[in-house]
Amino acid sequence: MPSVMDRVVAVTSRVLQVDPGEIKPQHAFATDLGAESVQSVELVAMFEEEFGIEMDEDEALSVETVGDAAEYIAKVCRQQGVAC
Amino acid sequence: MRLILVDLPSEKRRNFDPLALSRPIWELRCGMTTLGEKLVAKTGATEVACFVPPYMADAYREQTAWPVNDASQLAGDNLLVVNARVKASGLDGETTGPSRMVCEADGECLCARIAKADLGRLKTDSIESLLESAKAALPAAGGELPTWNYTWDLILSNPEQLAADFKALGRSGIEGKVEEPNAVRGSRGDVFIGRGTVVHPMVVIDAEHGPVYIDEGAEIHPFTRIEGPCYIGKKSILLGTKCREGMTIGPVCRVGGEVEESIIQGYSSKYHDGFLGHAYVGEWVNLGALTTNSDLKNDYSSVTVALDGKNPIDTGSIKVGSLIGDHTKTSIGTLFNTGAYVGAMALIAATGKPLPKFIPSFAWFLEGVVTKGFGKKSLYETARTAMGRRKREFTAAQEAMWNEIFNLTAPARNEAVKKGRRALASQRS
Repeated sequence: MPSVMDRVVAVTSRVLQVDPGEIKPQHAFATDLGAESVQSVELVAMFEEEFGIEMDEDEALSVETVGDAAEYIAKVCRQQGVAC
Repeated sequence: MRLILVDLPSEKRRNFDPLALSRPIWELRCGMTTLGEKLVAKTGATEVACFVPPYMADAYREQTAWPVNDASQLAGDNLLVVNARVKASGLDGETTGPSRMVCEADGECLCARIAKADLGRLKTDSIESLLESAKAALPAAGGELPTWNYTWDLILSNPEQLAADFKALGRSGIEGKVEEPNAVRGSRGDVFIGRGTVVHPMVVIDAEHGPVYIDEGAEIHPFTRIEGPCYIGKKSILLGTKCREGMTIGPVCRVGGEVEESIIQGYSSKYHDGFLGHAYVGEWVNLGALTTNSDLKNDYSSVTVALDGKNPIDTGSIKVGSLIGDHTKTSIGTLFNTGAYVGAMALIAATGKPLPKFIPSFAWFLEGVVTKGFGKKSLYETARTAMGRRKREFTAAQEAMWNEIFNLTAPARNEAVKKGRRALASQRS
């Protein structure tokens, strides 16, 4: 089963149209990967859909990097009893 | 006699969503005044108290001089308890006489006349107790009282109500400044222009088919055409507007483009071109340039509105436009479908096509779907900024009320957000 990080990278790749091999944990969605504000909203929605979780939008949008997103999503999965 | 206006939580009051999410139903407009002003005028009440859903009580206290949700008002005088949905025109003969009660078939009280002498045998510790005990103790009056049942009732009655209100007020003449050249069609007796209002040159006021009342401090820019019946509220500005018949524009609005048979509650902007017809727009709404609503289906069939996003209600009218809640903002080029429900505190980005007929409150409509967007805090910041521009404050009580509205409207929004996520995912797969 792919890891949380693998899945975060896959979603990010689909939404931002970036090659998955070019996405690193330390990359910031906005400054390194070029996410516009609307794409940030779309990323949150797609992470929720991918993992079957509900994220607080303020918390989720404050996450800046791919690695932090994977960490935050893993935490939300644990809180909501969702296997990931 | 003390008039007690009552708007308690119920399924029926949800028929006035999204406009009544943030105000009692009697604050809605029809004609030249609010429903509450009509009830007070009709009953001749000099003393008024009111009962509203608890979540909006603190915010409403900031706007009204009437005691709000104060049970001490249920004693010490003859009472006339009136449900907010009752039409003022139906209150003939209800204001004086012995105690009696008029209820709907489901038992909801529409009007209760309670003599001071009878209050001793009733429970007066809350409005709910008073009405329950009155139902058991007082004689039921025969007959029915006419009621407002949906927001579109107000829209559809607006032209007639405008004419009736103008006649009842009995006021005409020009107290403001009208710059030449201008044209008034019809009788000048059907036109009133209030003090401090400026009508620029090249404005047409057409009162041939109904009266035109422009309240104090308004400004009517060149190339505006105003067809009666019509009411322009205090300090509102019309910007080369094609203002067709049946319009009520509340205070401090900016209105351009083409508008027809609609009600704008107040403090809202539709500055640019675009058509608004048979719509009800709340307060602090901003409609971006070219925002347009359909109010007539291509097959001329009657318009349905889905107030809950699921169950369409037949309005029985072939003309109904949009219902747009307070603080909602639309982008340039937004297109609303016939009978669209657009919740309060929503932010809408156009897609180039007519949008879905139901957009829930607090929705961020982006990329053609409902999302959580940047959340309610960001919407509150925008509300704070918009109100500040008109020297008004988004108070702590209002924020608390909107937090409750956020919860109240969560089921429909959550469902729409899930649907939006699925749509986005399928687009991206």
